[in-house]
Amino acid sequence: MRGRPLLHTSYESDQALLNTTAKRVMLGIFILILVSIPFQVVPGLEFLGEEDWLRLLSTTAIFAIGALGLNILTGLAGQVSLGHSFFMGIGAYTAVWLGGPVGGPFIGLGLPIWIWLPAAGIVAALVGVAVGPTAVRVRGLYLAIVTLGLVFIGEYLFRNWNSLTGGAQVGRDFPRLQVRLWDEEAPLIDFTTSGSWFGLDLSGTAKSFFFLVLLAVGFTLLAKNLQRTRVGRAFMSIRDRDIAAEIMGVNEFAYKLLAFGISSFYAGIAGALLASFVSRVIPERWDLFLSVQFIAIILIGGAGTVTGTLLGSAFVVLLPRVVQNFTLWLQGVAAQGEGILSSIANVFVATSSNDFGLINTFAGVGPGLSVAQLNLVLYGLLIIGFLIFEPLGLYGIWLRVRNYWKGWPFTY
Amino acid sequence: MRKKSKWLALLLVLGLVLAACGDGEGGDTTTTAAGAEEPTTTAGEEEMTTTTAGEEEMAEIATDVGVDLEAQTITIGLLSDLSGPFAPLVQVINSGHEIYWANVNANGGINGLQVNLEVRDTGYVVDTHVQLYEELKSQVVAFGHSTGSPHTVAINPQLQADGILAIPLTWYSGWSDPAINANLVPHGVPYCIEAMNMIEYLTLEAPDATTIAIASSPGDYGEDSNAGARLAAEELGLEIVYDGTGLVNAADEATLAEVASGIAGSGAELVWVTTSPTPFGSIYGQALAAGFTGALWSGAGPTWNPALVGPDSPINEALASNFYVSAYYAPWGADSAGNQEVRELVEAAGAPPLDYYAEGVIEAKIMEQALRAAYDAGDMTQAGVLAAAKSLESVTFEGLAPDETYVGEPNDRVQRAQFISRPDPAGLADGTSTGVTLVESMYTSPIAEAYEFTETCFSLG
Repeated sequence: MRGRPLLHTSYESDQALLNTTAKRVMLGIFILILVSIPFQVVPGLEFLGEEDWLRLLSTTAIFAIGALGLNILTGLAGQVSLGHSFFMGIGAYTAVWLGGPVGGPFIGLGLPIWIWLPAAGIVAALVGVAVGPTAVRVRGLYLAIVTLGLVFIGEYLFRNWNSLTGGAQVGRDFPRLQVRLWDEEAPLIDFTTSGSWFGLDLSGTAKSFFFLVLLAVGFTLLAKNLQRTRVGRAFMSIRDRDIAAEIMGVNEFAYKLLAFGISSFYAGIAGALLASFVSRVIPERWDLFLSVQFIAIILIGGAGTVTGTLLGSAFVVLLPRVVQNFTLWLQGVAAQGEGILSSIANVFVATSSNDFGLINTFAGVGPGLSVAQLNLVLYGLLIIGFLIFEPLGLYGIWLRVRNYWKGWPFTY
Repeated sequence: MRKKSKWLALLLVLGLVLAACGDGEGGDTTTTAAGAEEPTTTAGEEEMTTTTAGEEEMAEIATDVGVDLEAQTITIGLLSDLSGPFAPLVQVINSGHEIYWANVNANGGINGLQVNLEVRDTGYVVDTHVQLYEELKSQVVAFGHSTGSPHTVAINPQLQADGILAIPLTWYSGWSDPAINANLVPHGVPYCIEAMNMIEYLTLEAPDATTIAIASSPGDYGEDSNAGARLAAEELGLEIVYDGTGLVNAADEATLAEVASGIAGSGAELVWVTTSPTPFGSIYGQALAAGFTGALWSGAGPTWNPALVGPDSPINEALASNFYVSAYYAPWGADSAGNQEVRELVEAAGAPPLDYYAEGVIEAKIMEQALRAAYDAGDMTQAGVLAAAKSLESVTFEGLAPDETYVGEPNDRVQRAQFISRPDPAGLADGTSTGVTLVESMYTSPIAEAYEFTETCFSLG
């Protein structure tokens, strides 16, 4: 139907992944920008191509994969889980068991990435399904407590299994993002060292970025697709009213278990990628705070939506950097020492041990929060703020903006 | 109400986005050590050849990152734990840096170049540490410190690939291992040699002792220290009657009770504990409560905090009678030119007296020597500063800490000398000391002296 983009005359077009031209064009532009980032060609976004920003964006891609998993469990199937970091840890240690060097001080089989990466997801999924029956019997707050227990069991296990994890506060090196056919010396594709690809000079960080973004895109497609299948609809029916779902013939037990399995698969992959990307991880990394970060991603982004999950990942991963730059900027303004703006900034930052301020921008002893502490406070405020004012999260804000401009200049 | 909340949320998001864009140039504002702000231009390098005062001598200095001859600044990075478990210590250390560099800057800087610090809070998280390293490596000429052993190990391959110098803020024996330290300049006695020194010293105080109990936190810190303790015990013919290596978990009260009863039950005559002050206080207090009073105690440097002998501490008198404080540098009140300098600088800055400024000053002095040597060599690039630091034959701290050298065989240059103090609750209460009185300066035990150092005592794998 020409000229009537929102009129869907077939089930297929209504259910299409990109059901409007605008979405297709937007996605195309977005992917073009994403691909061009390392080449620093888009005006205004050149800074994203710097090494440290590329690392942040790569971390965002990894967190997005993990968060998509939690979104399937919490957003789609409605099962609250605080155990996400445990499954990420399982994934990471599966990866290092299979991919770690043979004959070193720790357990390792020296297998290539195409074995350890999928295996990280599969083993985590199996563990998810194994602990599922316990978790499936409870819901709501009780489920949160059960999954909370997993985090502490996991942390104990990881801290004490020295031959696998390297031991508490020590950790070990993880296999790098390098593709080998088997155990040959030179990797077939190396995502960690600088070099030339198709005549383009790329840094190792840029290569990792492409690899991780590609994976994130793939997992996003999978997650988006899952929503429109029979399984996805079954998840949503359980979330909305589990008793009604069972009466409709949805096997609650089986589907909850499946949700746990799929979610843990995503978590396992994300854990393996995170450990591999950082290269060294201590067992304490897989703690409750990591789980809370994923809950924050879901809530801030918008529970149950794939777009929201991606937005939330970017938000949570980039927030510390944004706050840091904002603080540095405030500090700069305050140091100018004249003008109204400078006086306002001076109220917020402490620039020396004798100066009062909310944020401590100098290095030493004194009043004020450090940047990392300020981040924690902001997480809390944002989660509360979004729950009260915008339960749909960033996705909800985006919807309103979109709908506003759709009807512009009319209000509806 | 509904409408309002929408705008509120939108404003919040927009504000944060704007904040991100506001510094889109990659955060190129830096602060001087004195806390004043001085913008540096990234374009400065291209304009380097235009006329400035003293151009002729400056023109011969090669630079790449972190040294701006146009703006006359040098930028040094600090990867500090300002919100994690070591925040209370590292904040004082950073104050030491700030106070020291402010004084250097006020006295002409490094040949006219003002030194700025670019500080980042790692929160003692390895990922954050790596991320912040990546951010700072394009802004700083070298790293004035890097907090934490696993954290420094994690950035070590990148340091080597980028050719950047870092001073480790940990006393892991691996930093003196030639297989690891190509880009690191350590200082102070490593954990394992410290254990040898202290345990041998304890046997001098208690010549009849035949048994020892050891316990530690997990990780390189506790393992490294107790590797030295075992070696010393064997040399001295001491029987290890209790070994709680890696058992002390500060977050888990049950492990502290277990270790305390293990130590008390062993009846050891000497005790060596490597952990942080809070769990140490708990273990010591519980062992004391169990009637374990006859032994001499000591622990690795970071185990001690003067608050343990504060006026309200129930164990202050007991500690004063049987504890020996180990340190990598001289305490606040020590009688040396180096200590005198620290006292004057800190008092001039109006800061309270504490022992830990010394660590910041020591790091800053190493960096200052490296920068001056690099300037003299005409190469203030990152690689140039690294090369200059690695060829420093003698860095002197004038009694504040034993002198360091970074050339020669690892066995010849590994630090073996340290400081030993006794707790001083009375001095702390009336403000005449920082809670300790020095008993041994630059002490090296015969076992440590004879120890053949070729590689790290404990491998981080």
